[in-house]
Amino acid sequence: VLLTAVVLIVCAEVGGASMVRFKLELTRWARSAMLARPAVHGLVGVRDVDERVLDEALVKFDAGLRLFHLHAEGMGLVIIATTTVAATLASSPASRRPIIALLTVGGAGYPLGYLLWSGLIPYYGLERGKTIAEWLVWIPFGGATIVALWWLAGLIAWRMTGRQRA
Amino acid sequence: VRGRDVVAGRVSTAIALVVTLGPVEAHHVGAYIPSDNEITTNFKQIKFSVQAGKFDVALRLFDTGPLRADMRARAATLPPRLEAGLRAALAASDGAEVERRLMVFFAALARDLALEAAHQTADPKLSRDVRTVIGQRFLEAIWRYYNLVDFAVAQRDDTTSVAARLAFDEAGGYVKSSGAADPDRLQQPLRRIAQVLAALIESSTPARRGS
Repeated sequence: VLLTAVVLIVCAEVGGASMVRFKLELTRWARSAMLARPAVHGLVGVRDVDERVLDEALVKFDAGLRLFHLHAEGMGLVIIATTTVAATLASSPASRRPIIALLTVGGAGYPLGYLLWSGLIPYYGLERGKTIAEWLVWIPFGGATIVALWWLAGLIAWRMTGRQRA
Repeated sequence: VRGRDVVAGRVSTAIALVVTLGPVEAHHVGAYIPSDNEITTNFKQIKFSVQAGKFDVALRLFDTGPLRADMRARAATLPPRLEAGLRAALAASDGAEVERRLMVFFAALARDLALEAAHQTADPKLSRDVRTVIGQRFLEAIWRYYNLVDFAVAQRDDTTSVAARLAFDEAGGYVKSSGAADPDRLQQPLRRIAQVLAALIESSTPARRGS
């Protein structure tokens, strides 16, 4: 668990550094990939119109990379914090193991959705790329984290009420 | 130890509630605020320099900026000597003439976009949704340019300004994202925008004014 969280944080830092180091190259690549697919991005062949469309897509492409960096850093810490709580307070192995597994897998996978979304924008456009990233990554992995957190919250609440009754 | 457990439990429950009770649309993907393009940026630089009485700065910004390059590139569709006249006005520190020529240039840009929009949104091979999106994007581009000079237009000819804005509003109503979108009716207001602006350019050309 700890290794996963640390690797995720390392990925966030490498991603952030690469984003800065290769900003120009990444922007050029994304722009040329978008220009090669005018129908996908609704380009009309008029510079005054298309520049605005390309600008929005490039801003979102950059935002996706930034959000990956941000979420990977944050979720690394969330994995450490929440699995520590689960390991400490979920006494039954039957519930502790799946909660820790869900928190780890969900937390590590969720930020990759932003990286995927960024990569899909030049090929599929903003909305289609977002839909693919949602169904492939954000919903399953984010859902796993949410389910695990509720499960953990329920267990803790159950434990508290049991103790207070006793 | 029991007391600590209870506190830790309460804190973690609160954290879990805060984390999970967020809005359903939780995938934050950033917001986009359209920025100026290089032509509108250069226009604003020149305009503010002229307003500040810094004509030497405005002339340098014009000579080295993308606005002049764009004027040259579109010379065929612009009134004759528009660029040379604008440069001469800047050199002569004639603020009113600079404003008039810039107004003509941006009105011409908006006119050409309106004509192209009318042409593209009438394409029967394109679906209704695609034509609606194309219409929205063209209207955004038209407004971005026309909005820069609307005040100057209204000062000279309020009727033209009102007619352009009414036609723009009408066109905007036909490309709303809601189910009321009707790109089939876009042609009329788009052609009206083009006609109104063409008349403005014609009436503002130096030949007509005898300058």
